[in-house]
Amino acid sequence: MSVTTRLPITDGKAVRRYVGQVAHRHPRLLWTALGLHVLAALTALAAPRLLGGLVESVENGTTRSHVDEIVMWLALFLVLQSVLTRYARYRSQVMGELVLAELREDFVANTLALPVGIVEAAGSGDLLTRTGSDIDQLGWSVRWALPEWTIAVVSAILTFAAALSVGWWVFLPCLLAMPPLVVGLRWYLARAKDGYLAETASYSQITTTLSETVEGSRTVEALGLGAKRVELCDDDCAKSFEAEKYTLHLRTVFFPSMELSYLLPVVGTLLFGGWLYTRGEVSLAEVTTATLYVQMLIDPVDRIVSILDELQLGAASLARLLGVAQVPDDREVSGRTPSSEKLDADDVRFSYVEGRDVLHGIDLDVGVGERIAMVGPSGAGKSTLGRLLAGIHPPRTGAVTVGDVGLVELPLGDLRGHVALVTQEHHVFVGTLRENVVLARPGSSDDAVRDALGAVDALEWVDLLPAGLDTVVGSGGRAVTAAQAQQIALARLVLADPHTLVLDEATSLIDPRAARHLERSLAAVLEGRTVIAIAHRLFSAHDADRVAVVEDGLIAEFGSHDDLVAAGGSYAALWESWHGKG
Amino acid sequence: MRTLPVADPGTPDHRSPGRFLWWLARQQLPTLAGGMAFGIVWMSCQAVMPAVLGRAIDRGVADKDQQQLLFWAGVMLLIGLLQAVTGIMRHRFAVTNWLTASYRIVQLTTRQSVRLGGSLPRKVSTGEVIAIGTTDLSHIGNVMDVTARFAGAIVSFLLVSAILLSTSVQLGLVVLIGVPLLLLLMGPLLKPLQSRSATERQMRSDLSNTGTDIVSGLRVLRGIGGEGVFLDRYRRESQATRTAAVNVAKLQSVLDALQVFLPGVFVVLVVWLGARSAVTGDISAGELVAFYGYSAFLMLPLRTATEFANKLIRGRVAASRVCRVLALEPDVVEPTSPASPPAPASELYDARSGLRVRPGLLTAVVSDQPDDSALLADRLGLCAAEQDDEVSLGGIPLTSLRHADIRERIMVSDTGAALFAGRLADRIDERGNGDVEKALFTASAEDILEGLPDGLDSVVTEKGRSFSGGQRQRLVLARALAADPEILVLVEPTSAVDAHTEARVAARLRAHRDGRTTVVTTVSPLLLDAVDEVAFMVDGRVVAVGTHAELLADVTAYRRVVVRDVEAVL
Repeated sequence: MSVTTRLPITDGKAVRRYVGQVAHRHPRLLWTALGLHVLAALTALAAPRLLGGLVESVENGTTRSHVDEIVMWLALFLVLQSVLTRYARYRSQVMGELVLAELREDFVANTLALPVGIVEAAGSGDLLTRTGSDIDQLGWSVRWALPEWTIAVVSAILTFAAALSVGWWVFLPCLLAMPPLVVGLRWYLARAKDGYLAETASYSQITTTLSETVEGSRTVEALGLGAKRVELCDDDCAKSFEAEKYTLHLRTVFFPSMELSYLLPVVGTLLFGGWLYTRGEVSLAEVTTATLYVQMLIDPVDRIVSILDELQLGAASLARLLGVAQVPDDREVSGRTPSSEKLDADDVRFSYVEGRDVLHGIDLDVGVGERIAMVGPSGAGKSTLGRLLAGIHPPRTGAVTVGDVGLVELPLGDLRGHVALVTQEHHVFVGTLRENVVLARPGSSDDAVRDALGAVDALEWVDLLPAGLDTVVGSGGRAVTAAQAQQIALARLVLADPHTLVLDEATSLIDPRAARHLERSLAAVLEGRTVIAIAHRLFSAHDADRVAVVEDGLIAEFGSHDDLVAAGGSYAALWESWHGKG
Repeated sequence: MRTLPVADPGTPDHRSPGRFLWWLARQQLPTLAGGMAFGIVWMSCQAVMPAVLGRAIDRGVADKDQQQLLFWAGVMLLIGLLQAVTGIMRHRFAVTNWLTASYRIVQLTTRQSVRLGGSLPRKVSTGEVIAIGTTDLSHIGNVMDVTARFAGAIVSFLLVSAILLSTSVQLGLVVLIGVPLLLLLMGPLLKPLQSRSATERQMRSDLSNTGTDIVSGLRVLRGIGGEGVFLDRYRRESQATRTAAVNVAKLQSVLDALQVFLPGVFVVLVVWLGARSAVTGDISAGELVAFYGYSAFLMLPLRTATEFANKLIRGRVAASRVCRVLALEPDVVEPTSPASPPAPASELYDARSGLRVRPGLLTAVVSDQPDDSALLADRLGLCAAEQDDEVSLGGIPLTSLRHADIRERIMVSDTGAALFAGRLADRIDERGNGDVEKALFTASAEDILEGLPDGLDSVVTEKGRSFSGGQRQRLVLARALAADPEILVLVEPTSAVDAHTEARVAARLRAHRDGRTTVVTTVSPLLLDAVDEVAFMVDGRVVAVGTHAELLADVTAYRRVVVRDVEAVL
């Protein structure tokens, strides 16, 4: 179970295809935004041309009224540019937010449909990173980097075109920018992504170590780990510094080469233009306008270049988010309907890692309404068997069926109507207590919710809550103990009311003295339901109809409590010892 | 470039946020000064560029003088190169300034957390301390970073003003008054934007939390259903966040447009006044171009000044949070004149409960109230919130012993014990001299090891999250055993493991701790059956001492606590 396989990441082609699809989904928004940006960039180009004309007329002698007229035009274009900028920015933000919302909702929908086996194999860390930092990174890219970049590209192209419209000769000095630009950019982009990823990773390492030190401060003191934690922190900082030094080195080479590529065309235009002017081939206005245009190119080109690595990171996040949709489903819905409520396992084998079976041919014939307890040492395969019996994983060979239909042939929604699983995992969702209980059966009445909570002995503390069922629980809300969380999980199950229940140490965190009372009151409510309980404490086994002892992926002993104690096997030995007569 | 982090972060002045920032700045004064020097040259290069361009147009192009044109183009190239070099140097210094401050803050926070030890969670929420590492440090780093550019902004603003004033008093005054005025105009516009974007940021972080919540609870949902409910909820929140973001965009886009408009007005004004002067021959055509350049350039110092103000405000808020944590004092006070430590194998005795822990034996403590046992364990190891003189080792109160001596000899491993990230063998053998294999065997953790691809070399993830609760508990037990302290206090060491495993641990524990002193708090019959002596507590006082079998036979109350429910059935 600890062997980790990563969730898939889509390739570049699929990412581009997806971006294309998104663009096609909102053609009107996209083209309005782009059109407005083009117009805004065009109005910005008026200033150098007007100024060039102004310089020329000043040089040749002119009147105040002519100056006033040109400045009027300058002001008019400024107003136009400002208004167009406003709407262009707004439209592209609207578009960005729309796409972003679609993307994150698709991602969550895909995540909710992931086969649990895959999530566990990959570890929830990978998925949490995608939910957290990848959505954030992509949000930043879509919200900021992509529009800025598009605007920069639009205005760079238009400014360049405007510069060329002054005269073909402007093209030549602009060529001077190419060598340092192309060489510098290629060199930098080939290294930047890994460099910045390493930098980010080194920061999360600092945060991880710090949060471990802070949250584990008691343990740090108890074990005398203070000096070690301090050393670890300094090590993390040193590693982060190494990563920082590397990216700083990248920038130390890259930035000056960019500066050079911006500088050369401006100086070149001035020199070349000046030379042409002395030959009488161009006017003073043209030289001035051209130089100002080439100078104006610096800003958008610089933005295009500096946003590129941000876009690279955004694309990488997008690839990880889209990757979740590529996980193949491990269920094959056949459309057959179960003929009865009878659960059967037939020669079931299962492995998490190929070639290492953890279940070696299990047969289990469960009577309808029977209560079976599974006991055995940890690592014997109890939980795995429980999950197979709940239809979470498909068996490698053999079959787990309900009414002769394989559990993995049933659609997820139907499956839960037959079998449900509650484990010791005690996650409480952010929301009201009511929402937490009704999630398997939305729209249940308050009475039904209270009955369910009552069946798991939870009403005592629920009634003490100031807001009762409306109390907000979960991360950031009112804290509930691990034991209360398990009660909530069991109340969900009572409300869901499937005919077969698999309980995997579902009461393990509840005080042993309270647990037994709870199990009894639960048993009363679940009368007639089939229950398979993986037992943590021996009294649960004692109360069951039959006990299955699982050892090394096989059922070693199977029978009623009394029979097994009489048989004198490993269960009997354990019982004797526990009961204090050993 | 100096090597970071520094070996000793120093003793901070945490009396107020301002003092703290000043203290930080003093620690890195040379690099701050270096950054400022390069920042000033760098921005000044940009400031004089329009003047050079103006001269080139006037003397080189307009006068058709090729010598002059070449000369001024050369000057432009040189200043441009100087700008590139000082620019990157400024950047390097600024990054160093950011890092120096950030690392120092992480180091200080870590050292303070270690100093506070078990007192930390009682005095401050852990989230607040961790937030220093995730957000506060970058706010403070930003203050150090921006100083280099801020110095450049002030000098270059004065430089441009001087150039303008020397050319035209009127234009010079427009700039000197106009720029600060623009700065003041932008201020009020930012307020409503800030509050709207604060709302949006909050919604976005809530949405992110909902996503995390769903992922964390995915397995629960898989067991019982309810995916649709959560998808609907996420969609609702996602759409609400989108609406909020669009609201921000409405205002943000106006601000973006104003950032074009207001400086533009300024440019138009300067060009207009300049052109009028040019008509009368007061200034040349080239100088007009230069004026245009200056007015465009001045936006840079303007923005930098705004940025500095914003970063300083945020930095101060962050610094006040850091100060609050740095000012905390631990609960446990070192004795002024510590007693000499008692001889090895001394008896640990608690006067309040009457518990006597006999040296070299495995003692179990059973309490009718679980909280009583946990508190007793804390007190035995001097980890409780309040200090008292009632616990003594070899007759000497713990409070009069040096803490290092107590930690060396007594170790408390409780149910909240954290497992740290790193190589598994190192995380089990934290003290570096223990028998890892033997400890893992006693804790019945061999199966955990078998399941790991790299065995003892496997990497434990943050807080040991890759292990289940029961696995973590066994690893924590193994760690305590590997440390092999003279006195080991274990609080409910097997509460999360199954009966089979618990039976194995019980059978191996006594042999492992043979000759050492061990205290176990538990109510599990499997464990109680395997200890030397059981002390039974009622209402925080020891009322009976004996073996498990003796107490079962003689003490009814004990029987009720340990096997109550089974007795009821049988």
